Amino acid sequence: MSMEPAVLIRFDGDASAYQPGDVLAGHYVVEPLEGDSIKAVEVSVLWHTEGKGDEDMAVHEFWRRDADDVRPIDLREPEQFVTRLPNSPLSYRGRLIKLHWCVRVRVFLQNGKELLGERKFQLGHVPSLKRLAAE
Amino acid sequence: MLGSVGEALFWAVLLLLGCGGAVWMVVALVVPEWRVHHEFVETQCKVLDKRINQKPGDDGPLFGPELKIEYNAGGDITTWTHYDIHNAYTPNRREAEAILEQFAVPSAASGPCYPCWYDPADPYVVVLVRGYRWGRWFWLTVPGSFMAIGAGGLLYALLHWGKSAERRAARRRRAAGRNFLGGRVTDRRYPFVPQSDDTTNSPGTRLRFRLPMASSPGWALFGLLTACVLWNALVAACVWVAAKSHLRGEPQWVLTFFLIPFVLIGIGLIVFFFRKLLVAAGIGPTLMEISDHPLRPGQSYRLFLSQSGRLAINALRVWLVCEESATYRQGTNTRTETQEAFRQPVFVRERFQIDSGQPFVAEFDLNVPAGAMHSFKAEHNEINWSVVVEGDMARWPNFRRSFSVVLYPVPGSADR
Repeated sequence: MSMEPAVLIRFDGDASAYQPGDVLAGHYVVEPLEGDSIKAVEVSVLWHTEGKGDEDMAVHEFWRRDADDVRPIDLREPEQFVTRLPNSPLSYRGRLIKLHWCVRVRVFLQNGKELLGERKFQLGHVPSLKRLAAE
Repeated sequence: MLGSVGEALFWAVLLLLGCGGAVWMVVALVVPEWRVHHEFVETQCKVLDKRINQKPGDDGPLFGPELKIEYNAGGDITTWTHYDIHNAYTPNRREAEAILEQFAVPSAASGPCYPCWYDPADPYVVVLVRGYRWGRWFWLTVPGSFMAIGAGGLLYALLHWGKSAERRAARRRRAAGRNFLGGRVTDRRYPFVPQSDDTTNSPGTRLRFRLPMASSPGWALFGLLTACVLWNALVAACVWVAAKSHLRGEPQWVLTFFLIPFVLIGIGLIVFFFRKLLVAAGIGPTLMEISDHPLRPGQSYRLFLSQSGRLAINALRVWLVCEESATYRQGTNTRTETQEAFRQPVFVRERFQIDSGQPFVAEFDLNVPAGAMHSFKAEHNEINWSVVVEGDMARWPNFRRSFSVVLYPVPGSADR
């Protein structure tokens, strides 16, 4: 039985929380996958909202790589990404609004399918409203 | 991808409908008028007879003026013709008669002659009037709008064809940051934190900045008055109908009872409006000044409050308030829900009087909690901070006045 390929994302030092201005670095791999089956790969560092309102989403950093005959994409070897995180918006869990940061990797295969991998991280430290009120 | 195909198909169908409609309208409206002007041959005709043709329409009979004329088109032709190229019918008989009255039917052989224009391809097609009916061209805006919306939607769908949401968002971000010459428009160190320009463009008398009120009571009152007048005017019209039925001795009890809740709501609106008017007129202006702006979590600021009026106050409270606001679509409606997420007492003063000409003034500290979420503004979601003054009044309606502030995040290492 063949395994479905999956995108694996790791942050350097296995960190999951960062402060504004910190450097977010990590790498991603797709396994198991044939070397010549990838058409393009997109890596985004982004935030999006969740909650009562319609979703807002913005990309802080975006990279795209298209495969060509000279330089095929082989994601069996880890690919690096590095970015300096912005001052805002910070990760937040409110009553109506939740704001999440993540690294999202989208792999476009030659057969028209897409693979998606996502890893969340926290930007800043905003305590919960209950805790803030208690303080 | 399926969504993109469906979206593109939808816009393409809209565009095709618009194109089809425009072509049909041009062929039916524009081309005949153009041909009369440029291809039809002018000659003279005699009117032998005239009549009004009647045919049934959707909203009653339609009337079309018809004239029997004699003219020479390489040979003498006698035929019945409509007045113009469109064979137009009108629901107004008088209008059709007025057209016919322009032409006299001679009693003798030598009567008046009128100019007419015939189609050289079919000499039996003849008209007695030329001209462009510009009013009809207005209808071209209908297929025109279909074409514009369809083409715009299709272009949008094609531009985004096969592109991920992240790629589109990255493109939007690049476009938002540059002007049409390609130069950078903004160098925002705090993305998605609203600008604080509105708050810092008014200097204070005691402290650095005077905070603007979040919403002017004048506009709120005007809106309330408009709603009050519209509602009560509609209800009054219905009440008049019901009252007349009672005066005639044929009372409409169903209508009368049906109107009772609407009348009560109208009275409620009037009471609410006068209450708000009392608050706006009777309670003097509230001024709030702040020592610095924008705010930062964990920092302390001085606030200066001035409250005018001639008031007996049970309690005057000042709060630091954070509200979340979420906008969402529900069917075809767009709704916005706002919820208070955080409230911190800043100042309170109980049981005191304010005399006219002697405003109450107080200066106190505002401590912004460390770790508080910064102000945030995106298309559908917002986090707003404000300093709120609430007055619990003796023998007078209570009041609430809100002053917007912007809370920035703690500076990151990029700022240091």
